[in-house]
Amino acid sequence: MTWVALFFLGLGAVFSLMGNIGVLVFPDIYTRLQASSTCSTTSIFSVFVACMILSGFTPITGKILVITLFFFITNPISAHIIARYAWQSEIVPWRRTYEQRRMLGAETDD
Amino acid sequence: MTERTRWNIARVLLTTTYLLGGWLLFTWSFEPGSVLLGLVHAIAIALLTYPIFIEEYEAARRSHLPRVELLGIYLLVLVFNMYVASFRVLWQILRGRINPGVTHFRTRLRTDIARVVLTSSITLTPGTITLQLDDDHLIVHWLDARTRHSKYASKLIAGPYERLLRRIWA
Repeated sequence: MTWVALFFLGLGAVFSLMGNIGVLVFPDIYTRLQASSTCSTTSIFSVFVACMILSGFTPITGKILVITLFFFITNPISAHIIARYAWQSEIVPWRRTYEQRRMLGAETDD
Repeated sequence: MTERTRWNIARVLLTTTYLLGGWLLFTWSFEPGSVLLGLVHAIAIALLTYPIFIEEYEAARRSHLPRVELLGIYLLVLVFNMYVASFRVLWQILRGRINPGVTHFRTRLRTDIARVVLTSSITLTPGTITLQLDDDHLIVHWLDARTRHSKYASKLIAGPYERLLRRIWA
């Protein structure tokens, strides 16, 4: 049981680290928001799962469950508000050039 | 007893149920004293606040009575998709080969709460963020723009969620 919890804690650490690297590497606000919100969701969810496994069937588990549900409701809303504000203040999303997209093999029809 | 009165009673009972469920989750004890305390306060708060939480007309009934068993399946699907997409984003960060894009599409969901849940799920899934939601029109930014065709994009992004949500909230 402890090993499963350790596995989830490790996943949380990896996702958190990669999210922070993504924030530094990516070019504009939308992609950075993707990296940070991504990794916060998955890493924090992994840590919560590990906590639930470690604490077993106790009052703490119920509380962590409530916190997880609360997190599932609030986190996307905060990310959505930042993205919506950026979109409405007409920040143009960064894109690859046409040649680069052709090279990546993506479908290009514009 | 008119339809109106019956719906008002249902509103109070629904609010009480939700509040009592929250109380039981937080205290996690089934001692009679604790449950009684929770019940009394749940009824009192429900009587005061039911007009805020539950809509006035019975047409909104479906949005407060989701099908719970399907909601559980939906949460499992969401968590599974979250992990899969998370590993995909991880791979993209490592290789630095991202191809972001913006796509527009429409959803076929009818009720407001189903649309909000769909928006939240899309944002919660790594690699996609909802930029705007107007009635049934969604604008989504995604990290791996595999297509520019609106209908195919909606199938890729919202497909698995939409099918379940239509059965949960109709």
